[in-house]
Amino acid sequence: MDVIVDIADMKVSADPADDLVTYSLGSCLGVSIWDPEVRVGGMLHFMLPQASVSPEKARANPAMFGDTGIPALFRAAYELGAVKQRMIVKVAGGSSLLDDNGTFNIGKRNYVLLRKIFWKNGVLIDAEDVGGSLSRTMRLSVATGRVTIRNRGREVEL
Amino acid sequence: MTRCEEILAAVGEVQPLPGTVVRLISVINDPNSAITDIVEAIRYDQVLTARMLRICNSAFFGVSREVTCIEDALRLLGTLKTLQLVMAIHTSTLLDRGQKGYDLADGQLWRHSVGVAIASCAFAEHTRPANTNLAFTAGLLHDIGKVVLSNYVAEEFAEIVRRVGEEGLAFNTAEQRVLGFSHAEIGARLAERWALPDAIVACIRHHHDPAGLPEPDPLVDTVYLADCACLLLGIGLGSDGLCYRADPAVMERYGLHEPQLERVGIQMLTELRRVEEAFACADGARACAPAVK
Repeated sequence: MDVIVDIADMKVSADPADDLVTYSLGSCLGVSIWDPEVRVGGMLHFMLPQASVSPEKARANPAMFGDTGIPALFRAAYELGAVKQRMIVKVAGGSSLLDDNGTFNIGKRNYVLLRKIFWKNGVLIDAEDVGGSLSRTMRLSVATGRVTIRNRGREVEL
Repeated sequence: MTRCEEILAAVGEVQPLPGTVVRLISVINDPNSAITDIVEAIRYDQVLTARMLRICNSAFFGVSREVTCIEDALRLLGTLKTLQLVMAIHTSTLLDRGQKGYDLADGQLWRHSVGVAIASCAFAEHTRPANTNLAFTAGLLHDIGKVVLSNYVAEEFAEIVRRVGEEGLAFNTAEQRVLGFSHAEIGARLAERWALPDAIVACIRHHHDPAGLPEPDPLVDTVYLADCACLLLGIGLGSDGLCYRADPAVMERYGLHEPQLERVGIQMLTELRRVEEAFACADGARACAPAVK
């Protein structure tokens, strides 16, 4: 069954019948994690880098921001038995407008923040499809760990 | 007759803007209009009134007693919110269907349009256009040209998408080169046919190039910023994705920086979800328009 991960949302699952799917990734980032040993998957669709812009929103919904959402995603997967060292991590999104001046660089800032958090915590990115001006749909199969990215009707494995 | 005129002629026959919307826009556009004028503009539209009352009475608004008439709704929501709700209801029939060319599923263009309308209201506090009340409507209608293009030029879409991908063109520029006009231009022409106020026509025409005006227009800038925010946050993105040119001058004109943009984004998403829930509650089985493709 398709489990939809909305904007500023995250889902984890240990049900092999589930696909975690997030649509319409623009400058937001989609983070997919999967532990092949216990076959637990998780997906986060965060919108903005830092919770400091709205701490009360972050308390109500940590998945809105990278710095609160990423730790929350990993913790939720640990509760289902996943282990950090085994986790396969894939990232998509972080698009921007056609913008030579970096006026609206939310996408880039989201990605920089994600790299920083991963680096601090010793997490490696196994594959990514980041940047450009595309809208992306990200899909993770909980049974197989297969991640696909779709845009403009074309689907490729990540 | 040019291709643009041909398409407009065909559109004029099949997709008139509901009379209630036209009346309401002229009421909103007139600073001297009173609540009674608004009630008059809505009262005779039974379908609208019924749907409006269903939404007001939905669990979502949590009202303690039943809202039974438009006057009640006005008291409950306030004038501006009522007008916004009416506009959102009306455009949902126009914008709800999937836009194949743009690879937008059912409900997605409406979702994007309502998101831009909400964000326009939020940005208007910074940009201070002459008539703030028009911000919502201008935002709601900014992409009306997509409805037209998607339905009437399906076969040219592949070529537009190809040129965007291979030549790195902005989507509206590729539309212009392939078709001779963009979705912004045909939307503006349609709005002129519907006799919408010039201020709204300008927003539709220039929502991707505010610099195309002889001098800056705060309402156009408002819709431009709102559209950028919704594109960035992925509210109803289609095959055009984020392939539009950013204009740094607009943020600078109002001393705006990323934190303000981010806060507007958060506010927009929160309110958009409220609107979607209210509509879903009122429509029963109809799903809450998730971003499904």
